[in-house]
Amino acid sequence: MKKLFQIALGIIAAIGGFVDIGELVFDTQAGADFRFQLLWAVPVGVLGIVVFAEMTGRVAAVSGRPVFDVVRMRMGLNVGLITLAASLLINLITLAAEVGGAAIVLQLLFDLNVSTLILLSVVCLVLVVYFVPFGGIERIFGYLGCALLVYVAAAVHLKPNWHEVGQGFVPHLPSSALYAYFVIGVIGAALVPYEVYFYSSGAIEDRWGTADLNLNRANAALGFGLGGILSIALIVVAGEVFFDPHIQPGYLGTTALGAQQAFGEAGLVLALVGMLFAVGGAAVECAFSGAYTLAQFAGWEWGKYRRPRDASRFTMAWLIFFALAFVIVETGVDPVLLTEYAVILSVVALPLTYLPLLLIARDRTFMGDHANGILGNVLGWLYFVIILGVSLAAIPLMLITNGGSV
Amino acid sequence: MEDKQMDLVYRVLDDQLVDIEGRRCGRVDDLEFDGSLGDPPRLYAILSGSGTWHRRLPRPLRKLGERIFGTGVSGRDVIRVPWEQVEEISSVIRLKAKARDLGLGQGDERDAALVAKLPKS
Repeated sequence: MKKLFQIALGIIAAIGGFVDIGELVFDTQAGADFRFQLLWAVPVGVLGIVVFAEMTGRVAAVSGRPVFDVVRMRMGLNVGLITLAASLLINLITLAAEVGGAAIVLQLLFDLNVSTLILLSVVCLVLVVYFVPFGGIERIFGYLGCALLVYVAAAVHLKPNWHEVGQGFVPHLPSSALYAYFVIGVIGAALVPYEVYFYSSGAIEDRWGTADLNLNRANAALGFGLGGILSIALIVVAGEVFFDPHIQPGYLGTTALGAQQAFGEAGLVLALVGMLFAVGGAAVECAFSGAYTLAQFAGWEWGKYRRPRDASRFTMAWLIFFALAFVIVETGVDPVLLTEYAVILSVVALPLTYLPLLLIARDRTFMGDHANGILGNVLGWLYFVIILGVSLAAIPLMLITNGGSV
Repeated sequence: MEDKQMDLVYRVLDDQLVDIEGRRCGRVDDLEFDGSLGDPPRLYAILSGSGTWHRRLPRPLRKLGERIFGTGVSGRDVIRVPWEQVEEISSVIRLKAKARDLGLGQGDERDAALVAKLPKS
């Protein structure tokens, strides 16, 4: 019973932690520009992250290897260095976007100076990360991020044409470069690599073993899978509220108006609280992911379960990540723009992380009886092909569509 | 492959080093062999540290690699761990001694003094 309760808590935290600024930006813009036509891209991305996360969790539980350990071991130093550099850059841009997003939400809630709120966001996040244990961090942000479920209620309350919503789940070929760009954005927002770096390192932090493989499956399939419902709800709400009046949600706060349309001020506050904890949680994951990747690649001691002085370079790394993100956001760069760059660059770098993981997950030398079965291999390779295609198309489409603004 | 043979690139190179106390203390960044011409080479030591990295980069990038990661000064950016110090090869390379006694994990020790000034460190 206790185990089931733990699993349920983990799933709730994963649902709340699924959405980050990438989903808030791309899903809302997708709904505003194409109503329900891009809904099919959500399950494609969500199934991808489920497959990817399940594999990383299983590899971590069985072989004790987090993602970047596998990258270094399987891809060697040269390709590993390229993957490391790309991952660090993407983590930093994403972290800056999440911190900027948190400051914008705080400004909407408290109407204070943005510059002060950026500092406040960073200081609060650093204090939480430093003083709160790993499990507590996951749960604080995961549970409070569940306030975003207001979008699921709003999607139902706004009474969309369910037939049209259903048709949105039927995949169809891109009708324009802009459409294709948002397909990649919606899929990419679900597949951001920092989530799996964090998930896999978290499995090591929580000392998962083979006894936790069911917990891993449940967290990956139900947590990430049900989290995808939030993405669908964001698109449906944006399709209902922003599509017809041709409103471009270029400002993060616009996303919250969808919930307000359905439930008034209560909806707005719930949406903003959910957004604050969703982006705050994602910021923590990004900072940790940056430090995890660096430490794992170089072989340093790492982990939140260690005392800070016992994993000193790891501690310094996440502190420096927050400091750099603070500097980037304080330059005044638009967090929405940063998010778009982060998601598209993530998509480009994804195969570099995904391939070594797939190779290890199917290798019986390391995984024994827990290596990929037929289903795991078929889904794994299918998604590798999808990821490769998406990564090749991402940059050209970003240039052709001028970052989705044509 | 026979039981007594081991693919060093597959099982040892780039793997995590863990000392006798369970502390992560570097990676197998390179391997050192000794032996004369005509004799079978013998695995002599593990080299750990970013100072070895430039040697593994593509030739045109090696000078740049030296500047970024170090030139390979023994005891500073490269630590030589005698092969006899390897206790076990599993998902990590377990060593028989403490990292400090082998000269590994110096970066963590250096930064520990700074981090120790933080509360509850």
